Amino acid sequence: MQYSQKVLDHFMHPHNVGKMENPDATATEGSPSCGDQVTVYLKVNEEKQIIEDISFLSYGCASNIATASIITDLAKGKSLEEAKKITWRDAMDALDGLPPVKVHCSVLAADTLQTAISNYEIAHGLKEVPDFSKETILEELKKIIYPQVGEDIVSLKMVKYVGFSDGEVLIDLNMMAFDSWRDNVKEEIIEHLEKYPEVKKIEVNFP
Amino acid sequence: MKPGQIYLDNCVSSAVAPEVIDAMQPYFSQKFWFPGSFISTGESSNDALTGFQSIVAKSIGARGEEIHFTSGGTLANNLAIKGIANAAKKGHVICSVVDYPDLLTNAAWLEKQGFEVSYLAADDKAVIDLDQLKREIRPDTFLFMTTAVNHVVGSIQPLSEIRKILDAAGHKIYLHVDAGQAFGKMHLNVDDFGIDTMAISAHKIHGPQGIGALYQRKGTKLAQLIHGVKRVDNLQTGGLSIALIAGFAKAVELSFEDLDATIGQLRELSDYLWARLQEKIPYIELNGAEGEGRAPHNVNISIDYIEGEAITMMLDMHGITVATGSACASQGLKANYVLMAIGKNHVQSHGSMKFTLSRYNTKEELDTVVDRLAEITLELRKRSPLYNAFLKNQEK
Repeated sequence: MQYSQKVLDHFMHPHNVGKMENPDATATEGSPSCGDQVTVYLKVNEEKQIIEDISFLSYGCASNIATASIITDLAKGKSLEEAKKITWRDAMDALDGLPPVKVHCSVLAADTLQTAISNYEIAHGLKEVPDFSKETILEELKKIIYPQVGEDIVSLKMVKYVGFSDGEVLIDLNMMAFDSWRDNVKEEIIEHLEKYPEVKKIEVNFP
Repeated sequence: MKPGQIYLDNCVSSAVAPEVIDAMQPYFSQKFWFPGSFISTGESSNDALTGFQSIVAKSIGARGEEIHFTSGGTLANNLAIKGIANAAKKGHVICSVVDYPDLLTNAAWLEKQGFEVSYLAADDKAVIDLDQLKREIRPDTFLFMTTAVNHVVGSIQPLSEIRKILDAAGHKIYLHVDAGQAFGKMHLNVDDFGIDTMAISAHKIHGPQGIGALYQRKGTKLAQLIHGVKRVDNLQTGGLSIALIAGFAKAVELSFEDLDATIGQLRELSDYLWARLQEKIPYIELNGAEGEGRAPHNVNISIDYIEGEAITMMLDMHGITVATGSACASQGLKANYVLMAIGKNHVQSHGSMKFTLSRYNTKEELDTVVDRLAEITLELRKRSPLYNAFLKNQEK
């Protein structure tokens, strides 16, 4: 069995699963065409800025469901500031690891939690809608996992160049022609960036 | 719970029949000799091998000398495709986008060697486009290859019509058939269909793993691919396992003793499974052809709003083995290419389940599978944002 016992436990008996009535914030990330989608609902104590309740829905594989479950455990009862620090690495560690090819599934749940918090902050005037910049692209690229080793492509120094002007994103990747994950990584990049209205065109180049 | 207690993934590999194990036994210990020498041990093995060749040959209407034993279907496909192509030296090959990976990877290799390959489209049942086949044939087309029964949705290709179209070309076009899923599941007479080469394997019909055969019509020229010590002929170089061959022959005897009964039993089981699934689980659909258009052992469905890896994992916890076309369960993280090629969308592919049955499955087993699957579907749909959105839309 490639999955840890913790993954199987959270998959078979997920915590905090189900739709929440009247949430204070919500976010949905991923798409059915990519095979996974997660929705996170938040109930926030406005005065204390604490996540009082959290739940999720997941369309996806065992790893997707387990990660969403553990993310809600990690975030429940935390202040918004603390919850903002929760990453996919925390989720993976809490699950005693994931098979490399499944690490990308953990990113989606962590990402959805962060978007839900951000949506809450924007709605409550706690922050402005961030400007789209090269930094936004880099942050998104840090969420793209190279399935062969289960690490993100920025940490692996696979990103050679990132450019952004007039709505055009240009990314040069250090992935050889024989690398069978090229198409997969390219599709993931497009999926992550095309949701931004500022992005009109995405070009991903390989050597 | 025992892993694979209820096993419905027989298109990948099937349990070895007890009679097959008995038939192999003496060839491991007492009669393990290689054929080829003129002394009694070699002669005995020669005779045994000839007998086994005849048994396998008879099942497809061929002659013993037209059968070459291989390590499995993949080697047989390679010997045929590369053998015909290397003998032709240059020219044009046709196959289809829904073929088995053995054929598609060989087609890609042929392209790299300078051959030209045309890929036919398939309809929504995964049956190839015959009009396109007519249009694609060129004066230098020397090979058409096809997967007789589709490995994903079980659709049967129209081999007779294909042969007629190839014959109308006015020059010889070889017909190579991958019969991995078809062998033992339909009548497959090589003369009826004008098949020139064909790959079959033992372990999908309750024979042992590691043995298959290449059918080579007499007169079909195959360039030698594997060079080494000659034991039988230039296509079967190197060592061979007489015990596995004995097991293969026994598995063939068992399946073909009454092929119509074997087919009838599988058809009854698969019809029963599909009927029970429809009865118990809403929002599902059958992928591929219905009725006689599909192989009798295959039921491929899409379950809306949920993902296949999660379903197979949960079924596995109940000791039930099935397959899915979900990207999440594939090594390359890609949606199943056959389902996408026949017009299914990503959700239908990710939520697809393939049940492939064997004569050892029972209706009681299928009842258990459907009951468990109904519970799992309910549970996963409760968790699914897609299903929740669907319910909300219905309320409106």
